[in-house]
Amino acid sequence: MVALGREGTPADAILGVVPREVVEPATLDEAAEVLAACARDGRAVAFVGGGTELELGAPPRRLDVLLRTARLARVVEHAPADQIAVVEAGLPLGELQRRLRPHRQRLALDPPLAERATVGGVVAANAYGPRRHRFGAARDLVVGMSFVRADGVLAKGGGKVVKNVAGFDVPRLLVGSLGTLALIGTVTFRLHPLPEADRTVLVPMLDAGGLRALAAALGQAQLEPSAAAALLTGDGFQLALRFEGFPPGVAEQAQRLFALCERLGHGVEPLEEEGARAFWARHNAARSGGALRARLTFPRTGLEPAERLALRPLLASLGGAAAAIYPTLGVAFASGEPADPGAAARAVTEARAALAAAGGSLVVGAAPAEVRARVDPWGPPPPGLSLMRRVKAQLDPEERLAPGRFVGGI
Amino acid sequence: MVRPAVAPDLVHRMAAVVGAEHCISDPADLLVYECDGLTHGRTTPALVVLPATTDEVARVVKLASEAGLPIVPRGAGTGLSGGARPVPGCVVVGLSRMTRVLGVDLENGTIRVEPGVINLDVSRTVQAGGYYYAPDPSSQGVCTVGGNVAENSGGAHCLKYGFTVNHVLAARVVLDGGEVVDLGGPALDPPGYDLLAVLVGSEGMLGIATEVTLRLLRKPEATRTFFATFPSTDEAGAAVSGIIAAGILPAAIEMMDRLAIAAARAATGLDWPDVGAALLMDADGATAEVEHVSRRAVEIARAAGALEIRIPRDEAERQLMWKGRKCAFAAMGRISPNYLVEDGVIPRSEIARVLRDIGRLAEEAGLRVANVFHAGDGNLHPLVLYDARAPGEEERAAALGREILRLCVRYGGSITGEHGVGAEKAAAMADMFGPDDLETMARVRWGFDPRGRFNPGKVFPTPRLCGERPGPYQPHPLELAGQAERW
Repeated sequence: MVALGREGTPADAILGVVPREVVEPATLDEAAEVLAACARDGRAVAFVGGGTELELGAPPRRLDVLLRTARLARVVEHAPADQIAVVEAGLPLGELQRRLRPHRQRLALDPPLAERATVGGVVAANAYGPRRHRFGAARDLVVGMSFVRADGVLAKGGGKVVKNVAGFDVPRLLVGSLGTLALIGTVTFRLHPLPEADRTVLVPMLDAGGLRALAAALGQAQLEPSAAAALLTGDGFQLALRFEGFPPGVAEQAQRLFALCERLGHGVEPLEEEGARAFWARHNAARSGGALRARLTFPRTGLEPAERLALRPLLASLGGAAAAIYPTLGVAFASGEPADPGAAARAVTEARAALAAAGGSLVVGAAPAEVRARVDPWGPPPPGLSLMRRVKAQLDPEERLAPGRFVGGI
Repeated sequence: MVRPAVAPDLVHRMAAVVGAEHCISDPADLLVYECDGLTHGRTTPALVVLPATTDEVARVVKLASEAGLPIVPRGAGTGLSGGARPVPGCVVVGLSRMTRVLGVDLENGTIRVEPGVINLDVSRTVQAGGYYYAPDPSSQGVCTVGGNVAENSGGAHCLKYGFTVNHVLAARVVLDGGEVVDLGGPALDPPGYDLLAVLVGSEGMLGIATEVTLRLLRKPEATRTFFATFPSTDEAGAAVSGIIAAGILPAAIEMMDRLAIAAARAATGLDWPDVGAALLMDADGATAEVEHVSRRAVEIARAAGALEIRIPRDEAERQLMWKGRKCAFAAMGRISPNYLVEDGVIPRSEIARVLRDIGRLAEEAGLRVANVFHAGDGNLHPLVLYDARAPGEEERAAALGREILRLCVRYGGSITGEHGVGAEKAAAMADMFGPDDLETMARVRWGFDPRGRFNPGKVFPTPRLCGERPGPYQPHPLELAGQAERW
């Protein structure tokens, strides 16, 4: 067996599993050669971008080769007039945004740690931030992809135009597949214009019921924020609403939010640029800090039981707990330091049961090994698992791509 | 052509599942199902069954699987790519009886429906609460949600609001053998692969959706519309580019060329002038934003060379303008005995150049092409006008249509933006995708449907099945014999 790259070290480990070797291809063709070589020798491979979501999922069952996408970092094409960009998977999201900014455009994906997170990793992990409220998640912004299959074949799906229904949507299937179906090579994104005005307004004190009610009232009042995110503060929540667009529209929307909050009896606080930056930084810290991180989903009307029966008990098992809720989307993120792994694992299991009753789920985004030993990061098998296994078997029949990392041991 | 017979025993067993009146095997009755909205190219199915529940669909699929028969799902049959065209010996599973609204949850902004529910009826069901369902194909008054899911249907307003795939939250699906699986769910991102995303737009080749949960949107507070005329499609194209470059995301922005305007005028009596091009734009959202955006878009259109800008005085006039646009396909009958509808996509910035190229190709072919399309996302709908009575003209029209699609691919676009590949464009897939790309899609299909039971012969450029004939419509033997008419 020919060595493909350098020897793996503990710094290359995925959840404690150290790869035997590490390769950093400089081109997609090189990446395809690496995967073809792995196919010939039956080597198991995993892909790593910025490593910001490396703790998501289970440790790989085996890991021979770690393929880092760091050198696959070109902007292949940016067509400002068509509002699309074709970029290689290893390009950090923050760098992409810097390249788009002079054209007054952006990719409307705002997961935390954008400076480290690569576009390929963001897509593979389906990472997102509060702007999902208006712009959707990766699946809504990816219009095409090239990818390298487990057998080393370079293929593509989708296209370079936003509207396109030619063929099966393989790119959307790869979104959130955590590197278990193929290596994402290039991604073609739909871009959005940078807004001329950007304003964040804070509703400083809400309980879960108030949060749910205000989120519902936004829709009724036809307010159209680009993002809505609440941070845990003691017994309650601080809700930030971001309005982006043209100045007259943003000013009007903010005014109407003030009126709405007054009617509902909530205090409200427009944030200056500095204050807004600080809030969103705190939000990002709550999303990305802590040895244990979890993502809880629920129908948005089920916010109160989700908070009471799932989020609070989970937070109680953590030291330095933080939480962010996207009330219009029905998502909460919890993070902190589990003092007692058994208690934290129990809290995860109980939270899962509470969320499942309403059709929601809890996914562990990071956890110490002692907690992992007690709970599956993905939870109980989803209803479509056997179909998922059949799709996996078609694309990676030898189970060599990040085996065991994904749902149900896929 | 001899119609492959179905064992009488199977007909009885199917009838036992769905009821004898919903199991169609009489040759004359089967003719209704020979084709969909793409009327050239017809195949008589062996059997048509019209189940009423998920359980019935599952049992019907199981019976067909056991008998080794291909299954062709069908909604309202309005598709324009032959996606619901039968294959010889197949069982057509028509979902037209599954029309129940299973649940409305306005607080969560969702509705759960059966696949036979008409697209527009979704919005009608929830309009009193101030909600609507965003994807709005021009056929929305007759097409079904199930067909929309199969085709990932779009419409004029998907520029801002996205396609069917962006609005389907969950689906119950019957797979080969009758297995029933639930994909998606009431909360975001259930753990696992996003199989729902690949089901949407799979053209009935992976399974049959028997329940679909859709996202509802709050009706926008305000909508501002304007109609602008231009000397030619060059200026109109420049206006579209300018509007987008200004950071404006219109709810819809539609373009018509001289021929299309003339046809719409003839069909509706609208007092649209004889000009080279026109744009119809909607901006919607919160009032102040919309007014600002609409004002700026009008300024940009003027600067790009607009001859005249019309702003509707009221909702009735606005609806009339949209009627002019939405009836454009049907209006072609006013100016041409026959026409082909094409559906290709180009990068929006290339609109003016591509339209000039299309004009040149049309001239070379000695045919007229009318253009009416979704300019905001570059989704062209060239209408190739011809006279089927003139010898050779139909073939020339079909050849021109194919040439236009190749042009779209050369400009970095797509062979279909919303009509689907179906039977019609399966061969054109090879213009856009290589063998490895197609093989990857096929693998996904085998994962869902290992025996290729569902809707064979569509999407993939495989050798044609016997009985299928490429190219324009050929009269059916029954028509030639005077026993049936084309409708």
